[in-house]
Amino acid sequence: MISLYVGSTGGYSGKSLVSMGLGHKFKKDGLRVGYLKPVGILPFKIDDILTDNDAWRIYRALELKDPITEICPVVLTQELAVKGYLKDIRGLMEKIEKSHKKLSEGKDIMILGGYGSVYTGTVLGLQGLKVTKRLKAKVVIVVKYEGEFCVDYILQAKKDLGDSFIGVILNRVTYEFRQGVDDYVLPFLRRKGVDILGVLPHDSIVGAITVEELNDMLGGKILCCHHRLSNLVEHFLIGAMQVDKAVEYFKKARNNAVIVGGDRSDIQLSAIEAGSVCMILTGDLYPGEIIISKAEQRDIPMMVVRDDTYSVAKKLERLSVRLRLRDKAKVDRGMNLVMENVDFPLIYKKLGIKTG
Amino acid sequence: MINGFFNPKSIAVIGASRTPGKVGYDILKNTVQYGYQGAVYPINPNASEILGLKCYPSLLDVPDEIDLAVVVVPPQKVCEVIEQCGTKKIDSAIIITAGFRESGLEGTKLENSLIKKAKESGVRFIGPNCLGIIDTHSRVNASFAAGMPKKGSIGFFSQSGALCLAVLDRALSEDIGFSKFISMGNKADVSDTDIMIALAEDDNTKVILGYIEGLTDGRKFIEAASKVSKKKPLIILKSGTTISGAKAASSHTGALAGRETSFDSAFKQSGIIQAHTMGELFNYALAFSNQHLPAGPNVAIITNSGGPGIIAADACDRSRLQLVPLHKETIDELRSFLPSVASFYNPIDILGDAGADRYEKTLNMVLKDEKINGVIVLLTPTAVVNVEATAGAIGNIANLVDKPILASFMGKKSVESGSKILMKYNVPNYSYPEEAVYALNEMYRYHFWINRPAKTFPHFKGLKEKASNIFKEVMEKKREHLTDPEIHEVLKAYGFLQPKSLLARTSEEAVAASKGIGYPVVMKIVSPQIVHKSDVGGVKTNLTSKKDVENAFFDITTRIKQIMPTVNIYGVMIQEMIQGGKEIIIGITKDPQFGHMIMFGLGGIYVEVLKDVSFRVTPLSQEDAHEMIREIRTFPLLRGVRGEAEADVEAIEKSLLILSQLALDFPQIIEADINPLLVKKRGEGMVAVDARFTIGGE
Repeated sequence: MISLYVGSTGGYSGKSLVSMGLGHKFKKDGLRVGYLKPVGILPFKIDDILTDNDAWRIYRALELKDPITEICPVVLTQELAVKGYLKDIRGLMEKIEKSHKKLSEGKDIMILGGYGSVYTGTVLGLQGLKVTKRLKAKVVIVVKYEGEFCVDYILQAKKDLGDSFIGVILNRVTYEFRQGVDDYVLPFLRRKGVDILGVLPHDSIVGAITVEELNDMLGGKILCCHHRLSNLVEHFLIGAMQVDKAVEYFKKARNNAVIVGGDRSDIQLSAIEAGSVCMILTGDLYPGEIIISKAEQRDIPMMVVRDDTYSVAKKLERLSVRLRLRDKAKVDRGMNLVMENVDFPLIYKKLGIKTG
Repeated sequence: MINGFFNPKSIAVIGASRTPGKVGYDILKNTVQYGYQGAVYPINPNASEILGLKCYPSLLDVPDEIDLAVVVVPPQKVCEVIEQCGTKKIDSAIIITAGFRESGLEGTKLENSLIKKAKESGVRFIGPNCLGIIDTHSRVNASFAAGMPKKGSIGFFSQSGALCLAVLDRALSEDIGFSKFISMGNKADVSDTDIMIALAEDDNTKVILGYIEGLTDGRKFIEAASKVSKKKPLIILKSGTTISGAKAASSHTGALAGRETSFDSAFKQSGIIQAHTMGELFNYALAFSNQHLPAGPNVAIITNSGGPGIIAADACDRSRLQLVPLHKETIDELRSFLPSVASFYNPIDILGDAGADRYEKTLNMVLKDEKINGVIVLLTPTAVVNVEATAGAIGNIANLVDKPILASFMGKKSVESGSKILMKYNVPNYSYPEEAVYALNEMYRYHFWINRPAKTFPHFKGLKEKASNIFKEVMEKKREHLTDPEIHEVLKAYGFLQPKSLLARTSEEAVAASKGIGYPVVMKIVSPQIVHKSDVGGVKTNLTSKKDVENAFFDITTRIKQIMPTVNIYGVMIQEMIQGGKEIIIGITKDPQFGHMIMFGLGGIYVEVLKDVSFRVTPLSQEDAHEMIREIRTFPLLRGVRGEAEADVEAIEKSLLILSQLALDFPQIIEADINPLLVKKRGEGMVAVDARFTIGGE
């Protein structure tokens, strides 16, 4: 049995997406796959069992049958965090080892999902580096590519992980970065002895968010089209221009949500006209009945939020880096992305697995 | 001081022109052509004589004393002229010249230096960018308006010169008398408040009329208006209260327009009669300046046709006026001379064949009825009615009684002569019945205002001390919001009862706290970054067991971490669950024009949709508190519906007054609300369940 830890050099880099994709392919290739998230940071209860939301989604996506109680032995709730600050909590690493042992039975490969970066977790004595050592796992590093500085982090992680490091997967490489990555970054990394296990291009669907999630995050009130909360939003636009420019602007971005003051009925009508997929009305201002009925007619969900336009935009900017794989359409798309862009023969080779 | 503007012994027109059609010419001509008895000095370096008057190159060349300077020179020269006024000891100036604040940055700079120069020189001025002033009694017409209204008792001030012209033109065509006309312009020095006070002290003015776009000092205005309105009716049209209006106003005279609700409340509170349209402004002015105030709400309507009577009756229903039935004796008397098919009940329909005599007899009879406080006479121009004779008869009677009589002779062509006769007898005539009704309604409301006892302002001493440290600390730390424990202390200092509450950081602490307080409990997130707790799912109510509390702790903290990953969760507050009672909201807001205002409304989840709230400017009087509670549409719910017990309205009144005190004590409060404030049954008080405080500035 081999353990493969999917870690990263920073949070929200796409570890869950890669874990799902790898697991899916491993299963397809006939391996018996298990999944463990040693430390979860998205507390979630299912039938009163405390687990991690991401872990549970991956567990479901991979159609695993192991007991749910074991898939995430340590969940970082507010409670645990507070207690961890107040005094050292004992026995957590042992709990992880126990679950790992239980889940590994009868498996060819265990995928271990990291949280944060390989350096986080020290507060609870569960730093990623430490966990990988204790579980004797190989490590793949997923990096959300945001510029050349990423290279430094990768080399540092390679050094810190030593022999357990098997290579890197670059994620969310935008079209603007692609050429630089191909021409400079990849050859450089190879020269430094870093194996490139995959390069995943940026994908707007995987990066999209549903209207429902959006409403949840913004603490809004949905005014209409409750049946369209699964609309995927790929872009956000701010409706603050003169009305004559608005329609043109809104039509340019695919699947956009328009953030606009609740009292700007002119812009709201333009967004409806332009076929936006969602409208976020700011300032706790409710639109007129006519607007609501027009939006209803055109199937455009609208939400009212208390924040002003700038605050909403700021929140959304932060939010866009922490997208979660929740929607079925997004999960399928994400798994395909991994299958198509990851060098599986190289991974098998590095892990010493023979298939087929 | 303001007297210098209206009763000058001599006037200088600086920038007087020889060319007809130029403002400098028109003003000079106006000063001399309407019978002004004082000396007039045209100032123009390039002319020796204008309109037969000796012209001087500069103010300083005039050998005699001058009381009033009218300035029409280009904007760049105005400061210099004002300086000369100072030298010449002229303490009043009217600056007609435009090109100041209303024209942009350069103009604003110029206006600032003008204000400074005037202060240094000891000159008070009206304007700049105004039309001028007119006083029909002293015969001063220092304006470039076309014409001079007849002497009368309406004093009118207006921020818009054009509006002055329009009002003036109508006054001329309908022979309406005015006492004074003041075009305020940019109000860089003399303000609405100054003029209002001057008009209040002016013996020739019975009614004050004003048009305002924005106020320079709303609070001062309201304070002055409260006093003035007790002396004379003060009728104001405030424009620019809507969003579109505000846009237009800010590009008009650079005025900062306020919110409609603030103005409505402030006007109500200070006894201002608010006109919403130009038509109302005129209609009310006519009624107030010509007729007695009604001593009560009971009105009788006399009509010669059914439809207008019904329209008038509907309008009464929408007003505070009452269409009461007449005394039996009056009805019997009416029966003795009216046709049997006439309607003897209010509205009294004396039928289409009524002539002047029938109108006269009926009106006399109705006025004798002591139940009736005022009469509206409607007339449709039928073929039989003699409009002029009827108007004369009504006018004669009106002059003999002290009850108000308003007329509505409907139509235009055939009633025009009648309308003029009515005006001669000081009976205002309106084109439509509802206009007469609404004018009379305002008169009744005003009667009510001047007859109510003086307001009482309760003071709550010794509350401030305990809270001031908290405000001081928050200010020092440059924080905007008070935390829950801080709010708790402030509310406690001001005597608000609050539910028992304890802070818990873990679920174990939460369970212990709940046990200590006693189930059921409420749990609320505590974080300095979260102000609207329920918006983010940070509140759970009615937790009845250990299990409930544990789950709630998990749900709240998890959810918030998820949607707001960067907030600092300090813990949760476990609170006693207050049951029963009605939810209300009370609050403090800061209005750009009037400063602190107190808000009241019924609470609960529908409050933001219903927007059923009332406002008053601080300090709140006992009477304000009383009124604002009863003003909201949903007030009956507090009285109790379908056998419910009445809520403790007295406690609400007191809480509003205390909140007003809190606002006075801490000017740095930008916004605060206690929501919900749970009001229990009468005599049982109330509990402040949640509150927010935002501070800053000052």
